[in-house]
Amino acid sequence: MSESTFMGVERDRIDWSPRIDFTKCNDCMECVKFCPHQVFEVDENAKPKLKVKNPNNCVVFCRACSKTCGPDAITFPDKAKTTKMIKAIRKAEKEASTNE
Amino acid sequence: MSKSICVLPCNGLDKCAGDLSRRVALQLAQSEEVALICPVLLNQNRSRYEKDLEAGDLTVIDGCNTRCASKLAGDLEIAIKEKVNVSEVAKALNIKLGVEIREDEQTQTVVSAVLEKINSSAADQAASEFIEPESIDYNTFSHGKFIFKVPKANYYFNENDCWVTVSGNIARVGVSDYVQQNLSDILYVDPPEIGQEFEQFDDLGSIESGKAVFEIIAPASGTVVAVNTGLNDAPELVNESPYEKGWLVEVQLTDFAEDQDLLHDCPAYFEFLQRKVAEIDV
Ligand code: SF4
Ligand code: SF4
Repeated sequence: MSESTFMGVERDRIDWSPRIDFTKCNDCMECVKFCPHQVFEVDENAKPKLKVKNPNNCVVFCRACSKTCGPDAITFPDKAKTTKMIKAIRKAEKEASTNE
Repeated sequence: MSKSICVLPCNGLDKCAGDLSRRVALQLAQSEEVALICPVLLNQNRSRYEKDLEAGDLTVIDGCNTRCASKLAGDLEIAIKEKVNVSEVAKALNIKLGVEIREDEQTQTVVSAVLEKINSSAADQAASEFIEPESIDYNTFSHGKFIFKVPKANYYFNENDCWVTVSGNIARVGVSDYVQQNLSDILYVDPPEIGQEFEQFDDLGSIESGKAVFEIIAPASGTVVAVNTGLNDAPELVNESPYEKGWLVEVQLTDFAEDQDLLHDCPAYFEFLQRKVAEIDV
């Protein structure tokens, strides 16, 4: 899945994934149940149990799991900044390809 | 006489948000037309409420984002006509509910706001300026036993499977056939507020089936001018006609030329979707 992209930009160049505030998280695992993209991992023996294992599996601009989080422990990067960055990469790549 | 509205409140009575749900429900139940449904009894034996549910529309009051009451309705496949979330109303008012049950001015404010929201949901909206095209041509492809439709032209998609199409002075937003099939029977559409301004990739309400909740991610920036009220009584239109009758929101676009940079046109989305479906293996 290394060739995964968002609007033509390689996924691993886009910083978008859930950030967990472990001072609020209560280990309910609703987010894990909710997300169909294997973004999270649960390790019963670790502390904290929850881990954002595959951040690049997260669908860019999705924020759905945060709605299932009772204690409001999930946040995301700034959307406007992310959009801007994606546009900038696309523009640079377009220019690079026309300059060849 | 049978009742015309059924109210299903949250059952977290030992916590503040649940207690507020109870207070709202009790106030509503003072009306002759309202039947109160106990989530515990409903879960044990649905048949005792069958009459009420047949005669009336269901309003759900969720205490918090765990949304037990909504989920219960979803599990039992009861269509939700309207719902409110006490914690979200409180958050919008900047009131922290906490866990302790309390009877004070702040909680009273939340109760009133929730009641107001339930009573005023049929907000007025102007007649639509959207000109519906006479017919739309589709491309289709199949994957296993599924067949996916994508219009041939005039629709623009983000990679979150939401579309926008412009006609007249106005645009409509909805979800693609792929979303609709993934969710299967849609039971509830939670529209954004009329007048709400939003940016590209902001949340624009959600749709919900017994299986999951899907957040609408705005394909372009704009202002909400209308919502599809036809979906209140027939959310299944999103399943039956995701690109036409099942549109979700009507919007005045802010800067579509700019937003298009991060959207696919129909042929590009058709290809994108084929790749996605092949990868995920629905
Ligand atoms: S839903 Fe929230 S509280 Fe529950 S495990 Fe996830 S982050 Fe933690
Ligand atoms: S934002 Fe969406 S895709 Fe990302 S982890 Fe949450 S539910 Fe999964």
